[in-house]
Amino acid sequence: MSYDSVSGVRWLIDYNSGVPVYLQLVQQVQAAVASGTLRDGDQLPSVRALAEELRVNRNTVAKAWQELESEGVIENRQGAGCFVTASVTPLRRAVRTERLAAALDGVIVQAHHLQVPDDTLRSLLEERLKKFKQQREASNDD
Amino acid sequence: MTTEAKPVIDVENLQVAFGRADAVRGLCLSVPPGRCHALFGRNGAGKTSTLKALLGLAPVKGGRVSLFGLDPARDEAQVKARLAWVPDAPGFYPWMTVRDALAYAASFRPNWRRDVEAHLVGKFELDLAAPTKGLSKGQRTQLALVAAIAADPELLVLDEPTSGLDPLVRRQFLEAVISTFQDRNPERRTLLVSTHLISEFEGIVDSFTIMQGGRDVLTAGSDDARARFRRVRAWFDERTPDALPIRTLKPPRHEGRMLELLVDGGPDEARTWLTAVGASRVEASALSLEEIFLTTATP
Repeated sequence: MSYDSVSGVRWLIDYNSGVPVYLQLVQQVQAAVASGTLRDGDQLPSVRALAEELRVNRNTVAKAWQELESEGVIENRQGAGCFVTASVTPLRRAVRTERLAAALDGVIVQAHHLQVPDDTLRSLLEERLKKFKQQREASNDD
Repeated sequence: MTTEAKPVIDVENLQVAFGRADAVRGLCLSVPPGRCHALFGRNGAGKTSTLKALLGLAPVKGGRVSLFGLDPARDEAQVKARLAWVPDAPGFYPWMTVRDALAYAASFRPNWRRDVEAHLVGKFELDLAAPTKGLSKGQRTQLALVAAIAADPELLVLDEPTSGLDPLVRRQFLEAVISTFQDRNPERRTLLVSTHLISEFEGIVDSFTIMQGGRDVLTAGSDDARARFRRVRAWFDERTPDALPIRTLKPPRHEGRMLELLVDGGPDEARTWLTAVGASRVEASALSLEEIFLTTATP
């Protein structure tokens, strides 16, 4: 685990998760944006700094930032670095909905394997949404 | 097929012999530019012989080696100008100081980067006036790395670079490779590393070859390998089932009411089967590259 004082994100690469390393970084930025740790205009660490810090290949961080840029989560300002952007166009929203549906499908399959009934899953989703909302409000009070 | 850049390293059916022993027996390797490829294996698996054959330091008995699309035997000067290597035990002329050794190395390299040299000498806190014969193993490796990276090579070859070094020096070494070697035109900086210290290179290697007895046991992309090789654990209310209809990499491990399987091909098949035979809980995790090595290479 590595705490980054520039962005305030706690970066964690888990090689036992089976999730591609670049995708773990993408998901951590997405989670940090969703929870309010990262806000519109915040700067992400440079590819070089984060790669050195986490001892991962620079291509891996570059690929993650590229993916986030194509999703419209961050923008690359030439020479200045990568910044979080909150602007959401309708096209991006459609792409996001599609991705979210795929992620939810994964959760539903997991729930089936773990024999979690649909109602329990629904209330769990409610509970998590509430938790993120509280986190967001708490970080807005800072 | 996607249009990929021509491989920097292209090896077909390489065979290397030392004396009467066959060190490498039919290895194939293809590494595109900008990638980091690792050779994993125990001592004697053929890693160093492979690197030496690529560098023209060991006789090639059979097969074909191509670097940058060139034949290293025919176009030796051209190939050598574009690569640098750090051997596992770097040697320097004992009468030279660190400053002399760097100047000597620079004299062979038209693109020598003084700024990189100064940066790394500072990072490693090397004493330019110190005689090379008094350097520790860690300092010798650091000096060899400075000389290799300052030469501004397109291909950097590291042979067991961090074995025998203390943890702080190993960390600095890796950071230097990540931040300095790939600094300019990272899409053209290719890294080939041989190591048995797999875990510290886990985040850096894009792809790897596990060698054993001079042969390729497994070649895979790191992310692909971690997606394929899984540890699946299942807990049962009663006793664990004996007969298994799924192929596992190692004999299944029974521990009380827990059954552990190591599988190749993702966790889904094992998960479905374990749930069907009454597992109350199933957990799957990916194997790290070191665990994949320990599972696929037989002792």
